[in-house]
Amino acid sequence: MSEVVLPRERIRPSGWWGMALFVATEATLFGTIFGTYFYLRLNTVYWPPPGIAAPRPLWPLVLVAALVSTSPVLWAARRAALRGRVGRARAGLLLALAVQTGYLAFHLLLFAQDLDRFRPEDSAYGSIYFTMLGAHDAHVAAGILLELWLLLRLLRGLTRYRLVAFQVTSLYWNFVNVLALLVVVVQLAGAR
Amino acid sequence: MPAPGREPTKLALGLVAVALPALAGCGGNQNVVHPASGPEHSIAQLWWVMLIGSAVGFGSVVLLLYLGWARRNRPGLPGKGGDRAETRLVLLLGVAVPIVVLVTLFVYADVFVMRSTAAPGRGTTAFTIQVIGHQWFWEVRYPGTSAVTANEIHIPTHTRVNLVGTTADVIHSIWIPELNRKVDLIPGRTNRILLEADRPGHYRGQCSEFCGLQHAHMAVEVIAEPRARFREWLANMARPATAPRTQLEQLGRQVFLSEACSGCHSIRGTPARGEIGPDLTHLASRETLAALTLPNDPVDLRRWITDPQHSKPGAKMPGLPLAGEQVGALVAYLESLR
Amino acid sequence: MDQIWAHRPGLLGWLTTTDHKRIGLMYLFATLAFFAAGGVEALLIRTQLAVPNGHTVSPGTYDQLLTMHGVTMIFLFVIPLTTGAFGNYLVPLMIGARDMAFPRLNALSFWLFLASGIFIYTGLALGTAPNAGWFDYVPLALKQYDPGPNIDFFALGLILNGASSTAAAVNFIATIFKLRAPGMSMNRMPLFCFAVLAVAFALLFALPPLTIDCVFLELQRQLGFHFFDVAHGGDPLLWQYLFWIFGHPEVYIIVLPAFGIATSIIPTFAKRRMVAFPLVAMAELLVAFIGFGVFAHHMFSTGLATVTLIFFAAASMFVVIPSTIQIYAWLLTVTSGRPEFKAPLMFIGGFIVFFVLGGLSGIMFAAIPFDQALTDTYFVVAHFHFVIFGAAVFPLLGGLYYWFPKVTGRMYHEGWAKASFWLTFAGTSLTFFPMHIAGLLGMTRRVYTYEPGLGWDTYNLLETIGAFVLAAGLLVIAANLLVSRLNGATAGADPFFGGTLEWTVPSPPPAYNFAVIPTVTSPYPNWDRPEAERGGLVLEEGHETPASTVRDARLEEILDMPSESPWPIVLALLVAVAFVMLLASHGVVAGLFFGLAALTLGAWHLQEPES
Ligand code: HEA
Ligand code: HEA
Ligand code: HEC
Ligand code: CUA
Ligand SMILES: [Cu+2]
Repeated sequence: MSEVVLPRERIRPSGWWGMALFVATEATLFGTIFGTYFYLRLNTVYWPPPGIAAPRPLWPLVLVAALVSTSPVLWAARRAALRGRVGRARAGLLLALAVQTGYLAFHLLLFAQDLDRFRPEDSAYGSIYFTMLGAHDAHVAAGILLELWLLLRLLRGLTRYRLVAFQVTSLYWNFVNVLALLVVVVQLAGAR
Repeated sequence: MPAPGREPTKLALGLVAVALPALAGCGGNQNVVHPASGPEHSIAQLWWVMLIGSAVGFGSVVLLLYLGWARRNRPGLPGKGGDRAETRLVLLLGVAVPIVVLVTLFVYADVFVMRSTAAPGRGTTAFTIQVIGHQWFWEVRYPGTSAVTANEIHIPTHTRVNLVGTTADVIHSIWIPELNRKVDLIPGRTNRILLEADRPGHYRGQCSEFCGLQHAHMAVEVIAEPRARFREWLANMARPATAPRTQLEQLGRQVFLSEACSGCHSIRGTPARGEIGPDLTHLASRETLAALTLPNDPVDLRRWITDPQHSKPGAKMPGLPLAGEQVGALVAYLESLR
Repeated sequence: MDQIWAHRPGLLGWLTTTDHKRIGLMYLFATLAFFAAGGVEALLIRTQLAVPNGHTVSPGTYDQLLTMHGVTMIFLFVIPLTTGAFGNYLVPLMIGARDMAFPRLNALSFWLFLASGIFIYTGLALGTAPNAGWFDYVPLALKQYDPGPNIDFFALGLILNGASSTAAAVNFIATIFKLRAPGMSMNRMPLFCFAVLAVAFALLFALPPLTIDCVFLELQRQLGFHFFDVAHGGDPLLWQYLFWIFGHPEVYIIVLPAFGIATSIIPTFAKRRMVAFPLVAMAELLVAFIGFGVFAHHMFSTGLATVTLIFFAAASMFVVIPSTIQIYAWLLTVTSGRPEFKAPLMFIGGFIVFFVLGGLSGIMFAAIPFDQALTDTYFVVAHFHFVIFGAAVFPLLGGLYYWFPKVTGRMYHEGWAKASFWLTFAGTSLTFFPMHIAGLLGMTRRVYTYEPGLGWDTYNLLETIGAFVLAAGLLVIAANLLVSRLNGATAGADPFFGGTLEWTVPSPPPAYNFAVIPTVTSPYPNWDRPEAERGGLVLEEGHETPASTVRDARLEEILDMPSESPWPIVLALLVAVAFVMLLASHGVVAGLFFGLAALTLGAWHLQEPES
C-alpha cells in the first residue's frame, strides 16, 4: 500500500483538469448570480425594500472565517497523504469535514431565520438573496459529500487514484471557500 | 458540371431582378424601402448603400471560387512549402479591406444615420401620442385631450410627433415600416420614437415582438392627413359618444350597458367604463376592427360580436350568447358612434 | 489487443459503452432523428405560410411548432451533432488518442442529452410544448400569460441539456490538452481540433448564464419568486440580457465546428495545406472569444442607451474580422491548389457562398438603424438560416460524405452525392433568399398567418416550394448513405489521401484506434510522414492511452482508461426522473432522486483504473 506511485509534481492529471474546468464554469454561474444581484439592485430604489433590515454582519463573517480555515487544513492533509501518512490525512479530512458540516448546519439555521424576516416571494431582493445563499449552501453540501466519499475510500488505504481524488477535492473546496467570501461580501455590502 | 459559384450568382441576380420592382414601390404599404419620412429615407438609403457594398464583397468571393474551379486542372502539384503570397493576400482581403469597409460603415450608420432615427429630443416635437400595447390591440391616447382610440393613429403631415410607447401586459413592438424604425414596448419602461410623414396616406404597421397567440393579428395603421383634417378628427375624438337617435340604437345601447360589454369596453358619455378592450366611443369612425383583422362594416361587426374567436382565435373577447335582435341592435348602435 | 478493447456484445454493449466512436455514432443517430423532427416542424410551418390566411394548423399549434423547431434545431440537432457526433468521433482519432479523457463522462453526456431531448418532446406529445419562441421572452413566458407546463418543459429541458453540454465541453478540453499524441504540439494540431477547443471553451462560459436564467424562470413560475416582473422590483430585460449573453456565443458555437470541417475538407481536395494556418487557428479561437462581447445586438430596439448601442455595434463589426480571415484563407487555399470538386468540397463551396450571404446580412444588422428597422422580420430569419443552414449545416452534410468511408469502410455514391448537393443548394437558396425580400416588405416573423395584398404572397410560396426541394435533397443524402452503407464499394483506409491522423488507421477504425501510438512532427502527418505509424509506443498491456503536456505534447505518463460502465446511463436516468418530478412540482421526490444520483456517482467512482 505504501508503494504508491505518486504523480510527479508539476504534472496536472486529467482529473485535475476536469475539476479545474468544472470550477471555471461554476465560477461563471456565480458570476451571473452576482451580476443579477447588482443589476436588480440598480433597478430598484430601495434595496433592501422598506421593512427589511439589512443583514447583520456578525454571524455570516464568523461562519465564513471558519469555513475558509478549512483550506489550510485540507492542504496539510493532502501533503500528509502525498507523503503516505494516511492516518494524518484522514484526521485532517475529518477535521475539515466537521467544521464544514458545522458551517452548513449553522448557515441553514441563519437561512431559516432570514426566512422568518422576509421571503423570496415578497420582492426581487428576497428572491436573489435566498437564491444566492441557497446556491452556495448547495455547493457546500456537494463538497461535504465529496469529502465523505474520499474519507470512506481512504479508510481502505491510499492509491494513486485516491491521491488525485484528494487533489481534486481540495481544489473544489478552495473554490467553494473563495465563493463563500464573495457571497458574504455581496450579501453584506450589497445591502448597504 | 458548372462551377459551384456560378449557379448562385445567376440565382441571386434572378431573384434581385424579381425583387427590385417589388421593392421599389408597389406591393402593400408596409415597405421598408418605400420611405415616407426623413428618418425612413435615411434608413432606406443605408440599405441601398449596404446592398451595393455587399454585392461587391459577394462578387469577390464568387470570383475566387470561380477561379478555383476554372484552374482545377492546371498542371503541376502546387508547392507544399511556402504560402507567403497567399498569407499576405489573406491579410489584405481578410483584415485590411474589411477594417476600412467596416469603419466607414460604422461611422456612416452608427453615427450619422443613427441621429435621424434616435428618439426625438425634448421640445423638438409638436405634440405627443401615447401608444399602449395590449394582447392584441393598440390603445392610442392623445395626452392633453380626452381622445382615446385604438389601432389607428392619426397624425398631421409634416409634423414631428413624439410617439411614447408602453405596454399593459407583455412585450410588444410598434413598427410603421414606411415612417420609422421600431421600438419595443416593455413593462416598466417608456420608449419613444419620432413619428413623421412627408405626405398624406395610410401607413400600415405590425406588432414586431412575439406576444402570444394573436401576434399575427396585431396590426396598426397610421393615417397622415393635412393639418386641418387632423384637427377636426382630434376634436371629434375628444368628444363623448353621440347619443342614440333611433329606437334600435337606443336598444343597442341598453344591451351594451346591461350585457358584459360594458365591463370590458368604455364608451365615454355612458356608464360603460371597462378597461380591458378598446375604447369604442368613436368606433364607427375607424376603418377596421380588432387591430386590422376585419374591415369595419356592419356585416363584419356583426360577425365579430357574435363570434370573435372565429376571426381571431384566442382574442381576449369572449363570444357572448346574445339573441339575434340584440346583436342587430348592438351593431346599429356601434355603427352610429362616429 | 483486440481482446482487451473488445466491446460487450449486443444492445447491452451499446448501453454501457464508453468507446468514443460508439458514443459518437449514437449521437449521430439521435441528432439526425431530431433533425428530421425539426425539419418536419419546419415543413409544417412552411405549409401553413404557403398562402395567406392558411389553415393547416391552429395559431396555438403554430406557436408550439415554431418554438420546437428553433429549440430542436439548435439544442437537439446542431450542437450535439457537431460536438457530440463529429467531435467525439474525430477528435481522438485526429490527435492520436485511444479515447476521450473521461470516457464514462462522455457516455453520461450522451445519455443526458438524449434524456433532455425526450423530455422536451414529451411536452409536444402531450400537446403542451414550449410556445413562447426559442428565446422565450418574459413576461410572455411567465405563469400569468402561459399557465400550462409548456414553458417548464423548455426551462427544465434546457437545464438538463446544458448539463450534458457542459460535461462534453470539459471532456473535450481535457482530451485536447492531455491526450495528444507525442510530438503533436499545439501548432501541429489539426484545425478541426482548434475549432472544437474553441467551442468547448465557449460552451463552458456561455452555458451558465442560460442555466441561471432558466433557474430564475422556474423559481418565478413554480415558487413565486420575482426576477422578471416590474411590480416586485424585477425586470423583464434581465431575461434578455442573460439569454443573449449565452445566445450570441451560441451562434459561434454552432458555426465553429463547421469551420473546422471546412478546414479539414478543403486541404484534402485542394491537395495543399491550409493557407495561413496559424492565422486561421487564431481566428477560430478569437471568434469564440469576441463572440462574448456582442450580445446586446439582439436588443437594439429595446431602448438601450446610445452608448450601449454603439459599443455593441462596434463589437459586432469587429467580430467579423476573424470570419473574413477564414473565408479568404479557404478561398485562397482552393484557388492556389489543384481542387478536385468531389461532393464534400462542393458542399464546402456552397457553405462559402451561403456564409458570405448570411454574414453580409449580419453586418447589416450591426448598422443600428437598419437593425432597428428590420429586427424581428423575415430579414432576420433569412440572415440566420443562411448562416445556420448554409454555413453550419452544409459543412456537416459535406462532412457526412467525407468521413462516411472512414466510419463505415465503404464509399458513398459520387453521382448521387453531387445531385444531392445541387438539390440542397437550390432548395436552400429558394427557401431562404426570398425571405430577405419579404422582410424588406415588412413581413414580421413568428406570425402564424398573414393578409393578402401586402406583396408577400409570391415570396412565401417560393419559400415553401424551396423547403420541399431542400427536404428532397436531404432525403437523397440519407438514401445515398444508407444504400452505400449496405453495398458501397470498399473504401480502404485513406480514399481521399487526407492529411490528418484519422486517415492512417483502418476504416472503420478498430476499438483502440491506433495499434501503435504515432509520433507527430507536422500538422499533416499523413502527408509529410506517411510512416507516422512508427511511433515508439505500443501499449498492449491494458486499456491504456498516453498523456502528454499541454503545450508541447511531450509524453508525460501512460493512463489506464476505464472500459464499459453501466453507471452513466443509470445516472442519466435518475437525473431525468428527478427533472420530471420538478416539472410536476414534486420537489421532495425530485430531491430523493437527486440523492440517488449522488449515490450513483459515489458507486461510479469506486472502480479505480489500477484495480
Ligand atoms: C451560425 C450562426 C450565426 C453566425 C455565424 C452569425 C454571424 C453574424 N451575425 Fe447573426 N444571428 C444568428 C446566427 C448567426 N449569426 C441567429 C440565430 C440570429 C437570430 C436569433 C433570433 O433572433 O432568433 C442572429 C441575429 C443577428 C443579429 C440581430 C438581429 C436582430 O434580431 O435584430 C445581428 C446584429 O448585429 C447579427 C450579426 C451577425 C454578425 C455581424 C455576424 C458575423 O459573424 C458574420 C461574419 C461573416 C462575414 C462578414 C462573411 C464574410 C464576408 C466576406 C468575406 C465578404 C467581404 C466582407 C467585407 C469586406 C466586410 N446576427
Ligand atoms: C439549426 C438551426 C435551424 C435549421 C437547420 C433550420 C431549418 C429550417 N428552417 Fe428554421 N429556424 C431556426 C433554426 C433552424 N431552422 C430558428 C432558431 C428559428 C427561430 C425560431 C423562433 O423564432 O423562435 C427558425 C425559424 C424558422 C422560420 C420562421 C418561422 C416564424 O418566424 O414564424 C421558418 C419559416 O419558414 C423556418 C424554416 C426552416 C426550414 C424550411 C428549414 C429547412 O432547412 C429544414 C429542412 C430539414 C428537413 C426537411 C429535415 C429532413 C431531414 C431528414 C429527413 C433526415 C436527413 C438525414 C440525413 C441528412 C442523413 N425556420
Ligand atoms: C372579456 C372582455 C370583453 C367583453 C365582455 C367584450 N369585449 Fe369587445 N373586445 C375585448 C377585447 C380584448 C377586444 C380587442 C380584441 C383584439 O383586437 O384582440 C375587443 C374588441 C371589440 C371590438 C373591436 C374594437 C376595435 O376597435 O377593433 C368591438 C366592436 C367589441 N369588442 C365589441 C364588444 C361588444 C359589443 C361586446 C358585448 C357583446 C363586447 N365587445 C364584449 C374585450 C371584451
Ligand atoms: Cu403584440 Cu406581437
Ligand atoms: Cu448575435
